[in-house]
Amino acid sequence: MEFSLLGAALLAALGLYAVLWYEAGRTNAADCTRELWDMALGSAVIGVLVGRLVAMIRGGTNPLTHPGDILIVRGGVDTVGAAIAASAAFVFMARRDLWTRLDALAPAVLGGLAAWHGACLTRGACLGTPSDLPWAYAEHGGGVTRHPTELYAALLLVVGVILVIWWKRRHPPAGIVTGTAVAVAAGVRLATEPMRPVLGAGLEWWYLAGVVLGVGLAAGRFLAARSPQ
Amino acid sequence: MTPRLGLAISLLLAACSSSAVSVEEVEALPPTTPVEVRVLLEESEVPVVLNVWASWCTPCRSEAPLLRRAHAEQGDDVRFVGIDVRDDQDGARAFIAEFGLDGFDHFFDESGAVPADLAAYGVPLTFFFAPGGELIELHSGVIDERTLALQIDELLRR
Repeated sequence: MEFSLLGAALLAALGLYAVLWYEAGRTNAADCTRELWDMALGSAVIGVLVGRLVAMIRGGTNPLTHPGDILIVRGGVDTVGAAIAASAAFVFMARRDLWTRLDALAPAVLGGLAAWHGACLTRGACLGTPSDLPWAYAEHGGGVTRHPTELYAALLLVVGVILVIWWKRRHPPAGIVTGTAVAVAAGVRLATEPMRPVLGAGLEWWYLAGVVLGVGLAAGRFLAARSPQ
Repeated sequence: MTPRLGLAISLLLAACSSSAVSVEEVEALPPTTPVEVRVLLEESEVPVVLNVWASWCTPCRSEAPLLRRAHAEQGDDVRFVGIDVRDDQDGARAFIAEFGLDGFDHFFDESGAVPADLAAYGVPLTFFFAPGGELIELHSGVIDERTLALQIDELLRR
């Protein structure tokens, strides 16, 4: 386990809890925070585990013959696999009142993601592609100033939290807040992806699919609410 | 889980993680010394990423797929050198075959003298050298994708 990543995960959990706590008694029922927190944390653990397994298999390591490698998270967690698994786990756990719980958790997830990206400051891992903009900077003795890409993502996600809470307070039909949050989360990654130094194919198509899914979900829930029963 | 499902998953995992190179295709690693490595670095006209690894090192297994990908993408512009320390030839060849790292220039350093000469200890280690052998960065421990990509980018912009 790489401890700076563990610290970032703890900050993300803190960000998620902070938004849940803030929303309790406002747009969420006052007594649902504990239940949502447990579900979110359980889903996140499942997501990280599946994401790690996917990364190992894609990297050529057999988890059955090298189970100890699962714990070395810095070696990679497949983002797409983790996101799909965490979402599926939450949907399963919250299936009895799915849309209400998804809408209740949506702003908090964005808050957790904002904290995760902002935690780059503790890890010295904020920088992306080279830039000459006034706020670009270099670190680790690097000779090239770069975009603070992770901070861009964190700030955009904070704006996303505010936007989604504002939207939620207008009491739209169930599911629309969730769709908006999915579109925001994927849109932030899509917008910042070109500024990330990466090896291998980028994930732009996955993030674009996430934006389409989020917008489609919100539109579908809106139309479903308007159609006569 | 039914036995049949378990078998299917095992076969799928085995298929997904099969290596691209057989052990027989990997030649024995030539032994090296700190002096030879310094000469190699000083005479290099391209940047060098020097990775210190060992087949018994579990974290090395974690970063190996990433290094292979970096070599596949940047191998034309950057020289990738592997120093296998305190290991045996059979284990080293099996490791290279398993992770398809045969594109690296690997050397065998049985005593671990090369990283000690570079004032670094432990495994894995990843050094980033500019052409001519100037050390730009040393990363101790498992390297992540972002750090590797950033450091290679820094090397190529010098």
